[in-house]
Amino acid sequence: MTPAVAGRAAGRTRRRRTVLRHAVLIGWGAIIMFPIYWMIQTSFKDSGEWVTWPPNWLPQDPTLKNYEQVFTFDVQAAGVAREATEQPFNIWGSLLDSVLICSISSLIALFMGTFLAYAISRFNVGGSTFRHMVLLVRMIPPIVIAIPLLMYYAIMVPFATETLLDTRISLFDTRTGVSALYTTVTLPFVIWMMLSFIEEVPYTLEHAARLMGAGRIYTLRKIVLPLVASGMVVTFLFVFILSWGEFLLALTLTHPDVSTLPVLLNKYQSASEGRLYGPQAAIGTVITVPVVIMGILIQKHLVKGFSFGMMRR
Amino acid sequence: MTALSGVEIRARNGPFARLGAWLSQERVFRWIPFVLVEGTFILVIIIPFLLTIYISFLRWRANRPFEQAYLSGFRNYEAVLSDTGFWAALGRTFYFAGFAVVFELVIGFLLAMLVHRVVRGRRIYITVFLIPMMVVPVVVGYNFSMIYIDHGPLNQLLLPLTSILGIDPRIRWLSDPLAAQWAIILADVWQWTSLTFLIFLSGFSALPPQLINAARVMGASRWQTFWWVELPLLKPVIVIAVVVRSMEALKLFDPVVLLTFGGPGTSTQTVAYYLWEQVWQFNKFAFGAAASMLLLILFSTLIFTGIWLMMRERTRLDRERAS
Amino acid sequence: MAGIVLKDLVKEFGSFAAVKGINLEIRDGEFLILVGPSGCGKTTTLNMISGLVEPTGGDVVIGDRVVTHTEAGERGLGMVFQDLALFPHMTVFDNIAFGLRVKHVDPGEIRRRVEEAAEAMHIAPLLDKRPGECSGGEAQRVALARTIVTNPSVYLMDEPLSSLDAKLRVDMRTELKHLHEQLGGTFVYVTHDQAEAMTMADRIAVMNDGRIEQVGEPLEIYRRPASHFVAGFFGIPTMNFLDGTVEAAAGAIEFRGTGLAVPLDASVDAGLAGRGAVLGVRSEHVLVVDADTEGATPATVSLIEPLGDTTLLFFDHGGARRMVAKVDPDLPVAAGDAIHVALDTANLHLFDAGDGARLN
Repeated sequence: MTPAVAGRAAGRTRRRRTVLRHAVLIGWGAIIMFPIYWMIQTSFKDSGEWVTWPPNWLPQDPTLKNYEQVFTFDVQAAGVAREATEQPFNIWGSLLDSVLICSISSLIALFMGTFLAYAISRFNVGGSTFRHMVLLVRMIPPIVIAIPLLMYYAIMVPFATETLLDTRISLFDTRTGVSALYTTVTLPFVIWMMLSFIEEVPYTLEHAARLMGAGRIYTLRKIVLPLVASGMVVTFLFVFILSWGEFLLALTLTHPDVSTLPVLLNKYQSASEGRLYGPQAAIGTVITVPVVIMGILIQKHLVKGFSFGMMRR
Repeated sequence: MTALSGVEIRARNGPFARLGAWLSQERVFRWIPFVLVEGTFILVIIIPFLLTIYISFLRWRANRPFEQAYLSGFRNYEAVLSDTGFWAALGRTFYFAGFAVVFELVIGFLLAMLVHRVVRGRRIYITVFLIPMMVVPVVVGYNFSMIYIDHGPLNQLLLPLTSILGIDPRIRWLSDPLAAQWAIILADVWQWTSLTFLIFLSGFSALPPQLINAARVMGASRWQTFWWVELPLLKPVIVIAVVVRSMEALKLFDPVVLLTFGGPGTSTQTVAYYLWEQVWQFNKFAFGAAASMLLLILFSTLIFTGIWLMMRERTRLDRERAS
Repeated sequence: MAGIVLKDLVKEFGSFAAVKGINLEIRDGEFLILVGPSGCGKTTTLNMISGLVEPTGGDVVIGDRVVTHTEAGERGLGMVFQDLALFPHMTVFDNIAFGLRVKHVDPGEIRRRVEEAAEAMHIAPLLDKRPGECSGGEAQRVALARTIVTNPSVYLMDEPLSSLDAKLRVDMRTELKHLHEQLGGTFVYVTHDQAEAMTMADRIAVMNDGRIEQVGEPLEIYRRPASHFVAGFFGIPTMNFLDGTVEAAAGAIEFRGTGLAVPLDASVDAGLAGRGAVLGVRSEHVLVVDADTEGATPATVSLIEPLGDTTLLFFDHGGARRMVAKVDPDLPVAAGDAIHVALDTANLHLFDAGDGARLN
């Protein structure tokens, strides 16, 4: 073979390889997108089209009825309820619960976790293995803490407040209770992620500030926090997504007053009157879209950060 | 240049300033966040735990008043350990986790390897492949419940295959025991391959290119480079992926609730679901508490092994880097 | 204006002693350079002066105040860090103004003084930029401006030139020395670069393994190194060392190594005969001579490195270590040639083979 022919052959192999690679990747992309596509298109179908054989790949007669039903306060009064499949739920209460619980718990976790990460990074608080131990809390299966928490919230806290404060305060089925729990379970993530951001800030910046006479808190406020601000946004969004999707603990610790969005979706799923595929698809879409957007926003940082510093040199 | 001595340094007093000064002393300041976080852990996790340990020794059902409960030694633990349902659920959990994690690792690794080599369209692939991670697990369960219905799109897609094999095209994904088990594994693989993909991708992008170039220049083939250079360098990331995913897979709960409620029969009951049912359907709180403690011991052992593996890998790396 | 006194200063990190009890008096207005290899404790020592590291034992006195346990910010020092430590999220102006703002100086005064400092460091046009937009040399000047703006009496510098490229580093040396004369403050400067130390310092303190080996003026240290370590640390190329013993021979004493014997002068105590020793001689004191010169030793040239103004001649003389001589670039020799060399006996350094202390 002459070099030119060999080169052309190599080029062909390379091209074939590239085509094959893209074919595999596009194939997986299709698998990824399919359930999401199915949910979104179902959310625009009316009840007659939810289940047909063969299934309709796109809504024949696109409608916003599902969204109307989900977003209407009083389904009966507004007349958007369906005869056979009437449901008392609307999304507003759960939406408010989810937004409040997730943002408050993520904010508190963010601030506590950031300060602890700072202390771990700068003063080695808790020793060298502490940062690994922190992850332990996260690895405990939620079912194992669900039972104790239920009794704690429903029995022990009311009992304690009654004896100590003379008022009965229950954390069961309250936003406070769920928020406190979410703060705790997301803290390990905040600590772990913020550690990696804080360790990128050179110590000497703080030393310089201290030498110029700045106090601890002033240094933290003027030097460290501005430099890790973008990291804090990423971390906030990450734990927000975690809390937003949490199901088991919310299911355990709430009913009937408070219900987060996953719990609401589950109520539809287990409804006895027959499945409401359309409104469920609408709720699913409403739950999914904001977090997927948040996820795409922080994805660059995730790719960088998920080797846990094991590969960094 | 003028001397600073001429400038008055404004003195600040008052209780808040003094509190601030006390708090910003290093020996005090360093412990503030530690105390806050540990306090939260104690209040929200540790105290309930102590409570569970106590309850796990009681003879009590939640439908009776708490005052009637009495200590009963290890009877709950004996009940759990001799309960076939518990062992079956535990076995099933490992079975699901085992298959799911293997698929996730293999697919995630292959995808990361392919995407790492892609030049054009990389960002789009990454964006799309990471989406499942962000989707709320309950929504994933719901999505698959829709796809799996007998008249659903999956069976429609499989129509060519089922007609060749001559079987009923309406595969009852969620009501046949074996199909239901694989339905759950598939949903888990769909969602969490994105995480293994992410971990491996960050591993691939952290590979030092000069090492790979060096290997290529020395005449190593693609395959040799992969086997002798890239794979050993990726070992720590593989350990992480295995540890993280295994730990998560053992918690499997959400898709079970959304897809099958543990059924048909008990064929898809994972240990998390089984416990949840025991406590919330049958009010067996003390039984649940005892089972929780046993699970905690089991999982802690696994977690410690996992963390130990990760830390060992890390110290090995540090040592290699130092030398 | 203030001098600095370090008394029995000790710093231990766990079981590791980084600084093992040093005593040093830094005179008011002096440019003192702490030099040593990495890990010798020089930076730790500097940080104990600055207050960023609290000593395990001993005292730090600045001026007439004992500041051993005083907060770093209250010692009235200025410091330039190895990585410069400019705040990346602030403009150059805010960086320079930081120290004044912390002290609640009034805004008009801050502006006036920042501009004055920027003027002095020739960076006035950069005030609105961020450190990331400055070149290496400019960033260096910003760091210096930030230090001089509070007009401290003591300036601490931790390898401030290490981030610059070779050419700029040499220019900056001259400028720093000029700055020192202008400001008249006490400069304490840490570096591992012996050339930097030699060119800038009024006095040099050589550190090794947590201790000070020698304190003195640059030429004194170069000419009379107090120990084997100091001798090896200063000078390029590294001083030639020959292992051997001190022997009594015919009324005088001489150094005997493999392949050569060198007479020693009266500065060496005759009682040392029989002692294991290391003889040091700088390359410029190794002479290429005719075969019949007294003390000439035959040798073979192994490598030639022309430097332009001078040429380095590496040769083997039968001893364990290859030696180097600094010769006239016009000397007609080539690798492989047989030559004769002799040592300039007036410029020999004799060190104990055990503890490395100077013997002559």
